[in-house]
Amino acid sequence: MARISIDPVTRIEGHLRIDVEVDGGKVQKAWASCTMWRGLETILRGRDAREGWVFAQRFCGVCTTVHAIASVRAVEDALQLEIPANAQYIRNLILIAHALHDHIIHFYQLSSLDWVDIATIPKADPARAASIAEGYSNWPGNSRRELEAVQSKVKGMVDSGQLGIFSHGYWGHPAMRLSPELNLILFAHYLQALEFQRKACQIVGVLGGKTPHIQNLAVGGVMNAINLNSLATFNMDRLGMLQSLLQELIPFVQQAYFVDACLLSGSYPEWFRYGRGVANYLAVPDLPTDAKATQFDLPGGLIMKGNLASVQPIQNWRDQAFRSAVAEDVTHAWYKGEGAQTPWKGETDPNYTDFQADKKYTWVKAPRYNGQPIQVGPLANVLVGYASGHPLTRKWTDTAFKTISSVHDSGAPGFNLTPEDLQSTMGRYLARAIRSAMLSDLALQHWQLLTDNILKGDDTTFNPPQFPSHECEGVGMHEAPRGSLSHWVIIDKGSFTNYQAVVPTTWNASPRDAKGVPGPYETSLIANPVVDPEKPLEVLRTVHSFDPCMACACHTLDVSGREIARVKVL
Amino acid sequence: MSTGVVNPGAGRPFHRIAVVGIGNVLLGDDGFGPLAVEMFRRLYQCDSNVEILDLGTPGLDLAPYLYDTDLVVIADAIYPHKEEKPGTLCVYCEDDLGSSHAQLRLTSHDPGVQESLTQLRLAGHAPSEVIVVGVVPESCGLGKGISLSVLNTCLVAVDTIARLLVERSIDCRRRHAPVQRTLWWLSSSA
Repeated sequence: MARISIDPVTRIEGHLRIDVEVDGGKVQKAWASCTMWRGLETILRGRDAREGWVFAQRFCGVCTTVHAIASVRAVEDALQLEIPANAQYIRNLILIAHALHDHIIHFYQLSSLDWVDIATIPKADPARAASIAEGYSNWPGNSRRELEAVQSKVKGMVDSGQLGIFSHGYWGHPAMRLSPELNLILFAHYLQALEFQRKACQIVGVLGGKTPHIQNLAVGGVMNAINLNSLATFNMDRLGMLQSLLQELIPFVQQAYFVDACLLSGSYPEWFRYGRGVANYLAVPDLPTDAKATQFDLPGGLIMKGNLASVQPIQNWRDQAFRSAVAEDVTHAWYKGEGAQTPWKGETDPNYTDFQADKKYTWVKAPRYNGQPIQVGPLANVLVGYASGHPLTRKWTDTAFKTISSVHDSGAPGFNLTPEDLQSTMGRYLARAIRSAMLSDLALQHWQLLTDNILKGDDTTFNPPQFPSHECEGVGMHEAPRGSLSHWVIIDKGSFTNYQAVVPTTWNASPRDAKGVPGPYETSLIANPVVDPEKPLEVLRTVHSFDPCMACACHTLDVSGREIARVKVL
Repeated sequence: MSTGVVNPGAGRPFHRIAVVGIGNVLLGDDGFGPLAVEMFRRLYQCDSNVEILDLGTPGLDLAPYLYDTDLVVIADAIYPHKEEKPGTLCVYCEDDLGSSHAQLRLTSHDPGVQESLTQLRLAGHAPSEVIVVGVVPESCGLGKGISLSVLNTCLVAVDTIARLLVERSIDCRRRHAPVQRTLWWLSSSA
């Protein structure tokens, strides 16, 4: 039995440590520990509820927008304040652009090098690579010339021995199996992805006034002034600029990213068998299409025990079942208090004890839904949509399955996937690409909704909030890139008296609860293969599939706890 | 006082310039970068090709903001290789970052500066010059605010940024009167 402790230094926000016990080449037990305190909510107490979002968007350096949105939605929910249709569409477009940016970064910059061995790229035949890539998509970045240029850059880097940030990859690991040609195609898109991240940022900037840290939000709507006759405001020029940026971004998502995720899926079919984990899924409805938020373009729902037929819809943000089902358990987290509490009554009172696998071992609370652990994220989003018969989800999921069945790189022709197979490590990568393709269709639809509404003569963007003299409580929901996010607020005379954020990573990185039931990361690692305990690449594949956005420094320990190897992982 | 950073592209025009602040404004001195760029915006007037950005803690999301820039000046809390007093101002060029001269804040939220630059370079869209104007932090605790030592250095850092631009023939002038900007995170706390 080997005990491996992966204690990553995250590249983005929040620290995660993963401990696994490995026997016979497979993980037997796992613990997820967040090693950074997330007590930022405490500084919101006593603040003016209209300004909470400005602080909330600094919770995390990457998910700025999502916390800002959840915060204003929470206050609007508490006040039962409706916002104008224009405000819904402008917010939706910001959320879509942010999510596309985030998903592209996750696939290429944060996780593709778990699967793509760049050290083989010098051996690739660029002509053959171009013909493979052109067989799946008409993305212009797949030309032989483009691929030759990328290959020569990589050769230069390898020959000079200056792999730089890539020098710590698991190159040559037996679990790396793509042909040099596929490695070249995916790495070419890795570099091209930077241009499209920029375009996604520009979209957020055009709408939000500034990026990162949008400026245009307000409790009650948005502060974008709409006047088609004024140069200084949101006008037809601005709408035109937005449309062209979307039209430049979407082909990369649908013809490069989506296709690459299918190529990866078809080349590593065994990864649809690992990493299932907690098979209870939650997605909250998002992208409202009307002012009152009664209709949504992304359906919400709950699936228990992996049974897609059992899907229970969450129709809207006022869903009472959701409000009473969510509770956070601190039995194994470094906080004072016992058992589970609704977030409205949640405390964030630290009680650090050091890592004690049987007792307290993380800063993450254990959120539970009617007492059950829950997995959130693009996979939950896609499964709920598919199970509810949502046409857009079905369209892109079926397209993905069809594309994957034609990938022969694995030597496994006729590889046919079903939605059940998505409940896996690779399924989480694929679901994120499916969701991105869906979002890019929806981006143009919401641009059209906004344009039509403005042309109809509606220029309202803001309904002023009025705070009652009594205490009120609210929940703000958002189906964020990493999954369901909810901000829970209690407001008294216009100021917060409590503020709790139940973030996607809290659901997924949850520790064990009072009953000893582990969370999604922990469960998903059981039976995960580990060929070489000194290079636990396979563990990282499953952890990264949840998009925790991190680089890891892996410390491999033998049974006595002595450090025998250290591998920095990208 | 010279900034001590040699301008490798002397005489060559810079078309797109970014002055960026990195750090979390809620975490004490980690907020040095955002504070410095906001103070720079208040005190100096620049050409329209100079973008002034408070980027928070972007991690690898930094790359899109540096994409196709010619010159980037980064204000950030840093830990130099040899121990320095809190509030010490340190100016580095890009080559220093990879060496042991400086270590950018690689703790609770690594800004991913080097990773982003390497990716941009491979993609052919990296800035030709990168300068880091760093300050050694005293305390990066939640809700602590900026410490006096870092605050005192902040004005020097702002003047340094201006001098770096002027040395590169970029129009950057001190305003007659500072523009008002709300530094919301420093306003009345709860």
